[in-house]
Amino acid sequence: MTFPRSVPIIAYRDLQRFWKYKWWLAGLITMNLADLLIFALVFRGIVRREVVPDYLQFIAPGIASIAAFAAAFTIGREVMVELRRDFHHYLLSLPISRLELVAGRIASGLARGLIYQLPFIVLIVILTRLPSPTEALIALSVSAMIAASMSSLSIALSTLARSLELQATIRGLVYFIVFFASNIFYPEHIIRVRFPEAVQIVIINNPISIATSIYRHIFTPHLVQTAYTLEELLLKLTLWTVILLLVGALLYERNLK
Amino acid sequence: MSRVAVRIRDFVKKFGNVVAVNGLNLDVFDGEIFGFLGPNGSGKSTTLLTIATVYKPTRGDIEVYGFSVTRNGDAVRKLIGIAFQEPKALWVDKPYELLVWHAMVVGYSLIDSRRVVRDVMEELGLWEHRNKLFSELSGGTRKKVEIAKLFIQKPKLAIFDEPTAQLDVTTKHLVWSKIRDMNREGSTIIVATNDTFEAERLSDRVGIIYRGTLKALGSPSELKDMIPGGDIIEIRVEGFISGNALRKIEDALETKRLDLSNGTLKAYVNRGEEKVALALEILMRENVKVRSVAVKEPSLDEVFFYFTGAKLEEVRG
Repeated sequence: MTFPRSVPIIAYRDLQRFWKYKWWLAGLITMNLADLLIFALVFRGIVRREVVPDYLQFIAPGIASIAAFAAAFTIGREVMVELRRDFHHYLLSLPISRLELVAGRIASGLARGLIYQLPFIVLIVILTRLPSPTEALIALSVSAMIAASMSSLSIALSTLARSLELQATIRGLVYFIVFFASNIFYPEHIIRVRFPEAVQIVIINNPISIATSIYRHIFTPHLVQTAYTLEELLLKLTLWTVILLLVGALLYERNLK
Repeated sequence: MSRVAVRIRDFVKKFGNVVAVNGLNLDVFDGEIFGFLGPNGSGKSTTLLTIATVYKPTRGDIEVYGFSVTRNGDAVRKLIGIAFQEPKALWVDKPYELLVWHAMVVGYSLIDSRRVVRDVMEELGLWEHRNKLFSELSGGTRKKVEIAKLFIQKPKLAIFDEPTAQLDVTTKHLVWSKIRDMNREGSTIIVATNDTFEAERLSDRVGIIYRGTLKALGSPSELKDMIPGGDIIEIRVEGFISGNALRKIEDALETKRLDLSNGTLKAYVNRGEEKVALALEILMRENVKVRSVAVKEPSLDEVFFYFTGAKLEEVRG
């Protein structure tokens, strides 16, 4: 089978499985939306207006980043279950190359991220503004990059250990580091004042923070509080994506044997 | 059947300190049905998974139609298909969608996939189960779904790992017949089994593997002939047989043992079918009236125990 044909077929299976968990998915979206609302309402009354003029608008782009990240990260859970049940033996024996296999898995993670994120993007548009066609294209590429890189990271983590407990711990740890060590909840100038320099570096260079900053550039330009320009942020995210895709592909290929 | 389909040389596979296969050398020929016979844990599945490029050899190499599993994995995978011992599906999978997906991965268009999957599912009695969750299927039905993958794929080299385990007698015969059909249509077949009857019934040649090493190799009848005195020529006679006649039979047939009891003469020989005429000729010359003749071959079970030196309890354990 040729490369362009096999990758969507591999991805199709993963998406089919993703769709089987549609009620769980609906629950997850509802929960995330509720989080957004509760956070926004609570912090709106707490955070001073001169720091963040509208907390609801401030947090919305971050929640969109998290949505893409969370959905893309679920591909790792699938890989983990497959490893546990030796299902990967079947995948490894199919008449496709290892590169096609890993590309298909990452593509499905990407698609999961984009599908899951869509309602959140719609919500952001309702809460903020309609982006121009160029801005929409940038937003789409950011979503694609964050979903692809996070699915790749998730796949790589799921193949690191054969022990289910250890895998779950590693995945959980990385998930919470990426989630909390980000600029979703706090503006960057507050992070620079409150956290030690090493933590600042982690937070500001976290791909979720970078994606959130780009979304803020697009949807809430009046709330952008980063030192980086849009071009610099795009470059950083592209670099992260390339690195994570390579690491994910290599680890998946190496650790499945 | 001279072209080599699978060439295994000095193949060693270790998992940590455990040696699963230890220095296996074997050729499987193009167009044959090769039976890989051995008890659980003997190294059959490890060898098959390495042929299928799932594992990499610790030492040595395996070639499939000239392509190395270590260096040309992509080329090997385009030639092979494997039906695993444990059906490979997750509990949320449904047989029809799983098989259609498999058909597409192996190269069918979506329309052709649906057609060929329906044909194979109907033939194997799976159609009524097509939309059930895998977790709802019986062990036998799951196994049929696994085997169906190869009947759909029809690869150049088809590997069946214990294909009829968990299947009822009727389905077993159906599967054997379908495997033979595949073979006639051009697929080389490797069947791993711990069922000697299946190995004998299906295979052109059988390799007996035990504790990671190949113990014997040949057609079922060749293997049986390798057991010294394995065949028994049983002749029921009327009247007296002289000591002279018995000595002549002993010498001419090169018997390993000769018993005469209650008018039945039992000669333990090699290649009994070739020597029975000679025994009858001697008896007739000695004016002994023969009432019945039978040649009994050893079973493949006996062959297995002979070559592995295993005790039944050990194999069970």
